[in-house]
Amino acid sequence: MKKNWQKVLACILVIIMVMGNLAACSKTSDSSGNKDEKDSKMKVAIVCSSAGQNDNGYNQSAVEGAKKAAKEFGIEYKVVEPTTGVPQALESLAEDGYSIIFNLEYDFEALIKGTGGAKPIAEAYPNTTFICMNDNPNQDENGKTLHKNVISVLFDVHESSFVAGALTALVIENADVLFDQASYQFTKADAGGRSIGFIGGTNSNGITVFSFGYLEGINYIAEKLGVSYDYYAKYDAGFTDSSTGGTVAGTYYNQGANVVFAVAGSVGDGVTAKAKEVKKLAIQVDANKDDQQPGYILTSVIKNTEVPVYEIVKQAVAGKLAEMDAVQNYDLASGATSITDLAVIEKHIADSGKTKWEEIKKEVAEAQSQIASGKIKVTNAQKGEEFKAEKCPNVVIK
Amino acid sequence: MELLCNILYDTIYHSTPIILCVLGGLFAYRANVLNIALEGMMLNAAFVSVLVQYLTGNIFLAVLAAIVSTMLWGMVFSALGISFKGNVIVIGLGINLMTLAISKFVLKIMSLANISLKNIGAADFKIDIPLIKAIPILNVISGHPLITYIAFLAIVFVGILMYQTKFGVYVRVVGENEDSAISLGINSVYYKYAAVLLGSFFCALAGINLSLERMAMFTGGMTAGRGFIAIAAIYCGQGKPVVSAGYAILFGVARALAINLSIYAGPAAGMFDIIPYVLMVIVLAVVSYLKSKNEKLRIYKL
Repeated sequence: MKKNWQKVLACILVIIMVMGNLAACSKTSDSSGNKDEKDSKMKVAIVCSSAGQNDNGYNQSAVEGAKKAAKEFGIEYKVVEPTTGVPQALESLAEDGYSIIFNLEYDFEALIKGTGGAKPIAEAYPNTTFICMNDNPNQDENGKTLHKNVISVLFDVHESSFVAGALTALVIENADVLFDQASYQFTKADAGGRSIGFIGGTNSNGITVFSFGYLEGINYIAEKLGVSYDYYAKYDAGFTDSSTGGTVAGTYYNQGANVVFAVAGSVGDGVTAKAKEVKKLAIQVDANKDDQQPGYILTSVIKNTEVPVYEIVKQAVAGKLAEMDAVQNYDLASGATSITDLAVIEKHIADSGKTKWEEIKKEVAEAQSQIASGKIKVTNAQKGEEFKAEKCPNVVIK
Repeated sequence: MELLCNILYDTIYHSTPIILCVLGGLFAYRANVLNIALEGMMLNAAFVSVLVQYLTGNIFLAVLAAIVSTMLWGMVFSALGISFKGNVIVIGLGINLMTLAISKFVLKIMSLANISLKNIGAADFKIDIPLIKAIPILNVISGHPLITYIAFLAIVFVGILMYQTKFGVYVRVVGENEDSAISLGINSVYYKYAAVLLGSFFCALAGINLSLERMAMFTGGMTAGRGFIAIAAIYCGQGKPVVSAGYAILFGVARALAINLSIYAGPAAGMFDIIPYVLMVIVLAVVSYLKSKNEKLRIYKL
């Protein structure tokens, strides 16, 4: 008897649940239908990378770009931090009628090629434009564009890394004059101080592009001055273990390196902490993180996503999105990538070094303009260009 | 020579949090409540210590808060796992996930990518030992933060506690045969709680050492699997304090080699990172083979 009761109860519960679901479903489809009619506002979405929208850098500046565009063009924007994977986020946003979706995460497989036998997301939603950052996955082996509604955004970080490299070498050469001896402990140039470290998260083109540009920048100055630098590099530091990153940087600093450039997410934060500990310098990446450890971060190589986000939305509002090239390169001149304005480190320059500092800034600016004018050509590993060590005779790669 | 010193120094540096976790997990392991939440507890302490230091600027308060909050997680673990007899693996996994999520959530609310302390640096925590500092090679012992010294002294302390005291004997008895322990009038629940809480105390020290003392900063997920390495070390050492700590140090050696030799060998030095894992698989295989050889079982063999 009792069992029957339970069965009946279970059946009723199941029916209620199903009804509830159906009701919920119909409700949402209703409302979205209404919405489409109601506002013809352009809807833009940003899918954040795992660092999240408050990363004070890469993601945050993309959001800034969307905010700016929203103010100016009256578009609607949404920021998504994917919890169940990027492909799902892309799919549901496209389903919701977002016309431009920026994908900041390095996850393009489902979008371009389709995973698990499914159609590529780009093909399934032809009316949505997808933006891939940092890579150009939208091509087959012969370099032919696969989907018309995918735009790849590449930052010419090799150029800004070059500038950072030139700055590094100039600062090391003049460290005695520039900085107060009491608060820094630089290794003297003739005692092995002409060494520089590089720590990358993983051995991929997206990371080595920084290293090669940086190397060539160091070489540019070293060649001018007729000196030789040692270059220590590690490309497998990962992105999370900040403590190990700190020790790796520590060994470089121990070896006499005066500056370490880290392109490795949180591991870079460990590197800057180490720089403060040993009273030397580090270089950060992606955003202006100069005030993370004020005085111990020489500069940051910025990847300013605000510029492309704003630019692409602007084109879309003007109805020119379809005319845009499938690959968008943002170089030094566009302002989307550069080194910082050096305001933070400038406060720590000793009085004796003020004039020298101005000279250095001038020389760096000159290098910058030479890159812009095409006089200096920097290896771009992102495009598959190969780095040739012979090109940099004044830097010894350890 | 300098290379050797660097390797030794880094060995001590990288062993410390693992040793503390090993010591923390040992009692729970011996009391037969395997604590896989070592990782989460360590992360919690790492986070809370830096957070409190960031908010209040008081180191004492930061350490206290980290220890208390981590022991609260220990209480949660023991209440669910011992009193309510839940599955300790599931509970441990839950704690690992929760502490990671909570730290990221708080960082998000505070709109921070990480917490780096401005008013204090890692150099402030280093303690130089006057005499030893001047002796070559031995000087690697000098210049570590306080908890590092505590960790190495704790190996001896835990060894004594485990084998020379009533507490240690009772914990082991409870772990090996709980029914007989109860029949002898030992309060098994009490000893299990004590074992887990002692473990979370050591994990708290490990976390404080990792974030506050050595880096003066916290980044999301910075424990990076050290808690699980500790569990592997406990298994390899079969729950013996000194042997297990030895395995923890072995991990430290491998890590130190990988880092220091990368200057000479380049990326290939990353290969050293696999040494401890390979060694562990071999040790576990050999140990379990020897064990099974000594146990004559009436079973069908393939």
